[in-house]
Amino acid sequence: MISDLCKKMLSKSLWLFHTNCGACNGCDIEVIDVLTPYYDVERFGMKLVGSPRHADALVITGSVSRQVAPALKRLYEATPDPKVVIAVGTCAVGGNIWFDTYNILGGADKVVPVTVYIPGCPPRPEAIIYGAALALGMVPKKVKPQREQHVPRGFDLDAYIARWQDTPVVTR
Amino acid sequence: MSPETLQKKFLKGLTEQFPDILGKLREYVPGQLIAVLSRDELPKVTKYAVNQLGARFVITVATDQRDKTGDFGISYILAFDEEKQFLVLHSNLPADDPRIESVTPDVPAANWAEREAYDMVGIVPEGHPDPRRLVLPDDFPAGIHPLRKEYEYNTRFPSEPQNAPPRMPPPEGSTVVPLGPFYPTLEEPAYFRLFLDGERVVGSDYRGFYNHRAVEKLGDSELNYNQVPFVAQQICGICGQVHSCAYVEAVERACEIETPMRAKYIRTILLELERIHSHLLWVGLAGHIIAFDTVLMQLWRIREPVMWLMERVTGNRKHYSSNLVGGVRFDITLEAAEDIRRVLDKVEEEFKAVVDAVLIDTSLMARLKDVGILTEENARALGAVGPTARGSNVAIDCRVDHPYAAYDQLDVQKQVQDGCDCWARTLVRLYEVFESIRLVRKALDQMPGGPIMAKIDGSLPADRIGLCSVEAARGESHHYVRTGDNNRPYRWRLRAPTYPNLQAVGCMIQGVNLADVPICIGSYDPCFSCTERVETLDVNTNEIRVYTREELQELSRRKTLG
Ligand code: SF4
Repeated sequence: MISDLCKKMLSKSLWLFHTNCGACNGCDIEVIDVLTPYYDVERFGMKLVGSPRHADALVITGSVSRQVAPALKRLYEATPDPKVVIAVGTCAVGGNIWFDTYNILGGADKVVPVTVYIPGCPPRPEAIIYGAALALGMVPKKVKPQREQHVPRGFDLDAYIARWQDTPVVTR
Repeated sequence: MSPETLQKKFLKGLTEQFPDILGKLREYVPGQLIAVLSRDELPKVTKYAVNQLGARFVITVATDQRDKTGDFGISYILAFDEEKQFLVLHSNLPADDPRIESVTPDVPAANWAEREAYDMVGIVPEGHPDPRRLVLPDDFPAGIHPLRKEYEYNTRFPSEPQNAPPRMPPPEGSTVVPLGPFYPTLEEPAYFRLFLDGERVVGSDYRGFYNHRAVEKLGDSELNYNQVPFVAQQICGICGQVHSCAYVEAVERACEIETPMRAKYIRTILLELERIHSHLLWVGLAGHIIAFDTVLMQLWRIREPVMWLMERVTGNRKHYSSNLVGGVRFDITLEAAEDIRRVLDKVEEEFKAVVDAVLIDTSLMARLKDVGILTEENARALGAVGPTARGSNVAIDCRVDHPYAAYDQLDVQKQVQDGCDCWARTLVRLYEVFESIRLVRKALDQMPGGPIMAKIDGSLPADRIGLCSVEAARGESHHYVRTGDNNRPYRWRLRAPTYPNLQAVGCMIQGVNLADVPICIGSYDPCFSCTERVETLDVNTNEIRVYTREELQELSRRKTLG
């Protein structure tokens, strides 16, 4: 449903807000790379914006650390509907090698619902463009989506989030 | 101790002041002196070495060694860059009373290091001017120090929100502008609170360590020698090769492994190629920050062939997975060497055209000149490294000062500028690209044949200490390895270049216009991922305040009086 809606509403211009949630930088740079002349994602109408309130899609990199989780949640809420969430890189997809260390939640979907997963460490710029196109329904899906079971973590995320309510997330 | 070391100047100074230190100094690895001191002596020697003998404070290493000797260990690592020497001052602290006198009041560069030692291992720096939580997340339970051996790397600690460290109160009469944790100019999360008087920054408060991933804990507890380099490279997406190279060289030095020369050359070539693409990236981003997007587009266009080249040579655009203890995993073939030369010729030609345009561009100069001043004294006092230091006339470059890989055979030229501003830091990076291209060509010409991996029989010896500094694009990355049993490191400590440079930022943005803050923060090429590999932190930068409190008060008063 959401992808039908997105297809209709967003396919001509998708504005992305990119957030690093504990990534090593590798993925972030590849995300910027798709904007530069060789890949030039702007020809599809996609561009990076400076505030989640202007964005149609969240691009999440990194394995989501304890500190960043509440801010990410608030970011998700600040993005207007309909929205797509794109997890870029093995870290955001499943936590990578630090998926179970004490400070890491292990992937973006532990905190917010994710529409498209783009694995790779880092994924090639072509893969990122393909993933974004997939999210918009511009290219046909090759796999059926599967529901993942929620894995409970050892501490109370909502308690975090309550504490962070008063912290500003984005300021220009 | 070798006879050359005995001749060194700093040693004379040290033994004059502390005669009995001579008997305690040991040199297991050339260029690395280790002294085990009492806990009263250690701060005195550190202060004297830094303030009188000109040593550069590198990092502290706190170790939980209760399973071996029943106590905690703390080492202060100092570097004498001109004399190519590291000095490790070590002290053992009783398990029930791990206290040591803080050196931060006299050695400001030690500020974060001492706070981190408390957070991670629980060693109390007594008399520290700002003993708040640095690395751990706000709601981390009090009294738990995750690097202690009793905790597993994957323990899930409960949430205790009341532990959040206090925020710094803004000076009277100023406006607070929060910046972050997600904001458009920089890639990584960090939370700055800027205190403004009108448009001018009069103070700042920084909260970072959003990217802490418990890398050190993984290395100390779970991984063996040859697994660590693969984790180390993922600390940073730009300088991954730097971290894995620093780690393997530290282990090789500690265990006296003879790495084949060809392997060292291959490491050097990969490191320099990494520097080239990192600097191109930075100059582009700097252009972007000041809204000169042509620079961004041009430089990233020039950079992309380097990324393709890396993929052809190593198999991945980033994270080359090339290093193992004792050598490298793949060779650079003749065809690959040709490929590298061809790409570099093109990059050099195109980059030259851009640099010629940048150097005479008045709008760039207007935004970068005399902005974000970091004076030479401040750069030294805060231990700044890399282009940040070299832009402030501090001529340190580990490739020359503490040679590793094959740099001792390449005759590296340090690029130093004395402008102390963002422009000087930009110039350093521009010229370093040409220098790196020259080094890669020279290394390809000189590279000897032979094996690329040393033979290692049996397990590596335990309880040896190795240090290695590698000059990343952003500055010195320092790795400390203490070897352990079963082919695992006992303690692995790393310090990324952004760690000291970030402490200098409060100083840099003091007094600048609000609109110049992003380029100032950008100008030292921050890499929070590297710095924060361990956990989450809250920092107030009051240690690097240029204004005294009186001056600040004066300022706000003047404002009120109009
Ligand atoms: S997936 Fe790889 S490149 Fe991306 S953030 Fe994680 S470690 Fe870095």
